[in-house]
Amino acid sequence: MTKDILMNKTASSSAFSEQRRIQHFKTTRTICGYCGVGCALDLVTRDNRIIAVHPAFDGPANEGALCVKGQFAYDYVHHADRLTYPLVRGADGQLRRATWDAALERAAQGFLDVMQKHGRHAAYGVASGRTPSEANYMMQKFIRVGFGTNYIDNCSRA
Amino acid sequence: MSNPLADMEKPDVIFCIGTNMTEAHPVAATRLKKALARGAKLIVADPRRIRLAEMADLYLPIRVGSDTALLLGMAHVIVREDLIDREFIATRTEGYERLVDHLQEKTPEWAESISGVPAAAIEKAAILYGSSDKAAIYYTLGITEHICGVENVQSLCNLALLSGNIGREGTGINPMRGQNNIQGAGDSGALPNNYVGFQPVTEPANQAKFERAYGRKIDLEKGITKVTALEQCGDTIHAMLIDGENTVVSDPDQEHCIHALKSLEHFVVIDIFLTETAELADVVLPATSWAETDGHFTNTERRIQRVRKAVEPPGEAKPDWWIIGQLAQRMGMAGFDYDSPVPIFNELCELSPIYYGIDWELADSGQYHWPIPYRGHPGTPRLHENEFINGRGKFSFTEYRDPAETIDDEYPLWLTTGRRLESYHTRTQTGRSAGLNELLPEEMLEVHPADVARFGLRDGGWAKVSSRRGAVEVRVKATRRSPQGTVFASFAFANVPINALTGSGYDPITHTAELKVCPVQVEPVVEEALVAAD
Repeated sequence: MTKDILMNKTASSSAFSEQRRIQHFKTTRTICGYCGVGCALDLVTRDNRIIAVHPAFDGPANEGALCVKGQFAYDYVHHADRLTYPLVRGADGQLRRATWDAALERAAQGFLDVMQKHGRHAAYGVASGRTPSEANYMMQKFIRVGFGTNYIDNCSRA
Repeated sequence: MSNPLADMEKPDVIFCIGTNMTEAHPVAATRLKKALARGAKLIVADPRRIRLAEMADLYLPIRVGSDTALLLGMAHVIVREDLIDREFIATRTEGYERLVDHLQEKTPEWAESISGVPAAAIEKAAILYGSSDKAAIYYTLGITEHICGVENVQSLCNLALLSGNIGREGTGINPMRGQNNIQGAGDSGALPNNYVGFQPVTEPANQAKFERAYGRKIDLEKGITKVTALEQCGDTIHAMLIDGENTVVSDPDQEHCIHALKSLEHFVVIDIFLTETAELADVVLPATSWAETDGHFTNTERRIQRVRKAVEPPGEAKPDWWIIGQLAQRMGMAGFDYDSPVPIFNELCELSPIYYGIDWELADSGQYHWPIPYRGHPGTPRLHENEFINGRGKFSFTEYRDPAETIDDEYPLWLTTGRRLESYHTRTQTGRSAGLNELLPEEMLEVHPADVARFGLRDGGWAKVSSRRGAVEVRVKATRRSPQGTVFASFAFANVPINALTGSGYDPITHTAELKVCPVQVEPVVEEALVAAD
């Protein structure tokens, strides 16, 4: 579904430099990440950045329509506030940068310690209505296999 | 939703209750507008004069939390006026005779005394809905976020069953889901009572099935809900893993919520930003965002659609499935060494009776609505066409109950909360989107002009809003969108934490919080004091 579009030379204006005209854009068909309507859209990307969103006219839920969030609110993806490395709370109470290895080790050990100290009904998982189903499936499997409990929920109650 | 989104263009009568569709589900609302352009009639029940109310042929301005009374009154009229679908009732339902008895006293005048909607308007709405062969119900959290959310939904079902308005094109009972994959989260088994595909955990056959699949015997008892888990933090719950939820801002009773999370011995958050919730964690793991992810979302019409990665994640951010898989393997769990989301989705489908007919490749078309019970099945855009899952549709004998807290001299105003078009939930994303930030820079408490005067407030000035749980300061907007006696705000802004006020009660069955009703008091904030504080 991902395809490269070479900008049509005949359609390009003098506003574009020669370099721009041969610049590759990529479009990727996906589904809007906001509400539950499930509008289909094409993400237009260049140099690993989203530069536009096009509504999909063949999108079964939206038939070419998008709202102000779906159409324009994609720039958070590239925001400077994005978490780009794991954080672990130090003895001084501050969250600090950690390697994946150290952060996963700490996260795993914490669950094992709590289970040993308080039993398997002392751990709880909250899955997200924002992540793909694959993430939700993994969350519930993590709790059910790891603890043998059904102490798992998602964020639909509040 | 019982019916596909395309059906929104088909009804002759549309009954919207507790849904601010033009703001919260704008694209779905365009389909409703098409139906209206075609000549469909619109009934809107909502405490606030929202845009949808202005588009309505008949607007029922109900008091917050009085939905069950209104709906019982409408059912009374449908029976009294003989607008029932006799054949449907005889062949598809049970409990009709008892319902008729139950509705005896639930006159429109009785409903008026509770809901504030004139009896004549209730009669008109019932007759309009009940006499149509193609009437559809649409609702959102205005129905479910109450201590009586279950009764509200059951009362809506009564209307559809009485008039036979379900199981056909342009009819149905249609809740609009609020988050991109909240349907998929439940479908995938992230629930304390169900395995994937809504297979009850209390059924021994399911326990055996998942013991075979997962190599471990899992409790036959239901788990606790998130609401209960938060109540038990520091008591019986000592470790928590939260993926992609800003609980501290989105959940009711903020002070309680923060205290609960702080009392954990071990708290891990997976997210894309350092949210107010992540700030409390011991370990924060950076995830890929929506544009950096491959997988599936299931939308409000149960349609399973592919999400595709378009850009590389920043820095060391990783997909949620990878993070959880790594965590599980480090704890010594088997069956988590996936190298892509493909085998995860295929495993989900294999174990789910409602996704059983598809896999990663088949889902690529985006054409399937669940249930898809076997390979070659076309999917099910419309539920309940020939029969209900449990045989017959059951009438419910609901009763009106007051909200958990009601207004009094100390807290004389109803606060109801909701969404706005230009923000999404707690603004972790839309608050970092330049254009939207300009369109909606701050939260405003919407107050009827008469209440602005009554409480000594000023349009554009500041007010302190207090409930039995907390207080927030917020700018006032005088507007007739709010009826007299009811104020509105969204919970979108972390610096105006409206959920410091909410949390008066929960539905006893679903544990959904009564976020739509909270008695409050308002008082003006002396503005010199604010300036001095700055």
